Amino acid sequence: MLFSSIPFLYYFLPCVLLLYFLAPKKLKNAVLLLSSLVFYAWGEPIYVLLMISSVVSGYILGLLIEKFRAKPLGSVFLIASVVISLGLLGYFKYADFFIANFNAVFGLSVPLLRIALPIGISFYTFQLLSYTIDVYRGTVAAQRNFITLAAYIALFPQLIAGPIVRYADVAAQLTSRTHSFDKIALGIRRFVLGLAKKILIANALGELCDIFRASGDKSVLFYWLYAVAFTLHIYFDFSGYSDMAIGLGKIFGFDFMENFRFPYISASITEFWRRWHISLGSWFRDYVYIPLGGNRVGKAKWLRNIFIVWLLTGFWHGAAWNFIVWGLLFALLLVVEKLWLQRPLQKTKVLKHIYVLLFIILSFVIFNATDMRQALSDLGAMFGTGSIPFYSAEWSYYLRSYAVILGLAVLGATPLPQKLLAAVRRRKAGETLLNIAEPIVLAVLLLVMTAYLVDGSFNPFLYFRF
Amino acid sequence: MNAKQRSVLLTILMAAMLLGISLWAWCKPVDRFSESERRVLQPFPKLTADTLRTGKFMEEFESYSLDQFPFRDAFRTLKALTVFKVFFQKDNNDLFIEDGYVSKLNYPLRDEMLEHAAERFQYLYDNYLAGTDAKLYFSVVPDKSYFLAQENGFLTLDYDALVAKMREKTPYLEYVNIIDKLNLQNYYRTDTHWRQETLLPVANTLAEAMGVSLSDEYEVKTLSEPFYGVYVGQSALPLSPDTLSYLTSETLEGCTVTSYDTGVPQSVPMYDLAAAGSADPYELFLNGADALLVIENPAATTDRELVVFRDSFGSSLVPLLVEGYAKVTLIDARYLNSAYLGNFVEFDDQDVLFLYSTLLLNDSLSLK
Repeated sequence: MLFSSIPFLYYFLPCVLLLYFLAPKKLKNAVLLLSSLVFYAWGEPIYVLLMISSVVSGYILGLLIEKFRAKPLGSVFLIASVVISLGLLGYFKYADFFIANFNAVFGLSVPLLRIALPIGISFYTFQLLSYTIDVYRGTVAAQRNFITLAAYIALFPQLIAGPIVRYADVAAQLTSRTHSFDKIALGIRRFVLGLAKKILIANALGELCDIFRASGDKSVLFYWLYAVAFTLHIYFDFSGYSDMAIGLGKIFGFDFMENFRFPYISASITEFWRRWHISLGSWFRDYVYIPLGGNRVGKAKWLRNIFIVWLLTGFWHGAAWNFIVWGLLFALLLVVEKLWLQRPLQKTKVLKHIYVLLFIILSFVIFNATDMRQALSDLGAMFGTGSIPFYSAEWSYYLRSYAVILGLAVLGATPLPQKLLAAVRRRKAGETLLNIAEPIVLAVLLLVMTAYLVDGSFNPFLYFRF
Repeated sequence: MNAKQRSVLLTILMAAMLLGISLWAWCKPVDRFSESERRVLQPFPKLTADTLRTGKFMEEFESYSLDQFPFRDAFRTLKALTVFKVFFQKDNNDLFIEDGYVSKLNYPLRDEMLEHAAERFQYLYDNYLAGTDAKLYFSVVPDKSYFLAQENGFLTLDYDALVAKMREKTPYLEYVNIIDKLNLQNYYRTDTHWRQETLLPVANTLAEAMGVSLSDEYEVKTLSEPFYGVYVGQSALPLSPDTLSYLTSETLEGCTVTSYDTGVPQSVPMYDLAAAGSADPYELFLNGADALLVIENPAATTDRELVVFRDSFGSSLVPLLVEGYAKVTLIDARYLNSAYLGNFVEFDDQDVLFLYSTLLLNDSLSLK
């Protein structure tokens, strides 16, 4: 079930909210768990059993790891936890990739498994791993209440698209959290704005990308329009979903970590990755990069560490070579930046932003390609290597048709609207006006988004495939 | 209002909206049919262990929740207005409005569709027309976009290329150009079709090309009911209605029209006034969508016959050609498989007109 769907908004969510707020405190986690299982089973009736199995194994192994933490057996149980979690992820997500490449290298024809990818497996696997690893490290105590741990893993607001919430960050909130009108209102605001980002901006730009793909009237400028539209689309799609998750979390009394901080205003690729999908970046930093030695090793090992982390980051996003190349491109850019570009870039005002945006846009063209062949073809066409005209009628038409949405997306990808609101709020009259206007604006937004959902069937969600 | 009050108000307002709409959605009676979209709506799906296991229940519930949403049409209108008035997008679901006319983007030119149409024409020629004394004609009806799209910056197909390609593929048909007899005012603002009361120049052009002279005087009759065309429902916009008029004459009133749509001959009116109150008032003309119709003209001063292969644009035009013929047969190859045509029509020395709109030629898979 998608957050941006009528069944979620007007059937599932009202029932869950009623049950949750009517339930006594000690049953709230049970309500969350039950509703999360229904939420997951709605889209994955069979794979809900896989998720439950993962939770059961995590629960048992967490207890065993804690019990034997000081002994060699603790390491064995940790390894078992990692092998089981990554084994399931590997089987369901990567088996066909390895088989296909094995076949290609050795000229064999081992049949592909063609297994459907369980929704959200990449997210809940990483959450589970963070739990067992942190128990092993002694940073958190193993959770003895199965329902509490299961509610954490399966928690529907962040189950299918993150942020990757670490157990350590919410352990206390799982057992004791506060609910207040202020927090709920904060959650509502965040959820509605996230929903607007997804439905009004991301879906529209996704349509534009689909139109481009289906077009028989491509041109160099149409390729650039597509690349820019997809770059904005993926940001609004993913950050919109994160906003919704964070907002829902707040309504249920949780504080999830921020996942995006205006990444497209970054002045370097290093900064970009501090602002983009923060929960994934910090997960790889804490559970891969630093354990490998981070940057406190010789230059060769440090470079190795960077390439390993970015290879894994790319591979996490999808079992295809274009995702791996996408990850490695960032490794290369980060290394070049850290070794040579950092100082010269700092001296520029505009050039550093152009540099970041250019590579981000190009990287997302690779990211969104079906394979490397298409990625190279798209990149080539953007620089005029294809036998296509410089501009075309479709480019002109769709640029005009989507100009306002593109403009709003560009503006919304910067902190300017936020700063403007803050400036208005600093004045007494402005604050009063905003206090009155905000509920009205949010209510109207909800109605408009409902209208979009009722009217349209175009509502795919990109991060489902991760 | 302070921040605390704002939080309380926001929470109550949004909770009321969510719960209120939710309750409404659960309790409202199920609608069977959408008049505006002319389709059956999804009822509540069957809940069984099997439909749950396979996900069929969830899939159908999604459709149910969209189809049965309270004030569905009003929400669709809100969406359309947001698209046009807030985001200033050029079209909504491929529909656009210009000069008060609603039209659909007919783009791009789809070669494979023209190939298919030409292949179906060739089939008819090879199996029924080749070797007969029939005189064969072909004419293309431009859709509204022809007059609206290009000059207003909308995507438009290359109409000249469409006609050229069809002519090239049908060398056995004599092309009759009616495009220069038409302009935007020949079309309804809210519907796909053209206005019969403005089509006399078109009818004369076709008749002249086929060697027939038309001289009837027609009386224009205008229905009192407003005519909300097909684009009103599709666009979901608050559009003012068209008026629906038709032309009649003594000759037409004396004609008999027989429908073979069901296989059994059935007498039908030339103009079915009861259809004016239906979901599709354009069906007033010649019984609407009908596979096979025969019009007999007892007042004819000739024994010439006309066979028209046509789409819905033909329904309003053909009555204006009846005067010149003793018998006119209308065949809609979307509803009648061409392989069985020989069971109903014998071709010898008739005039045969292929009259198709650019909408159908560019989306011709329905031609059988």
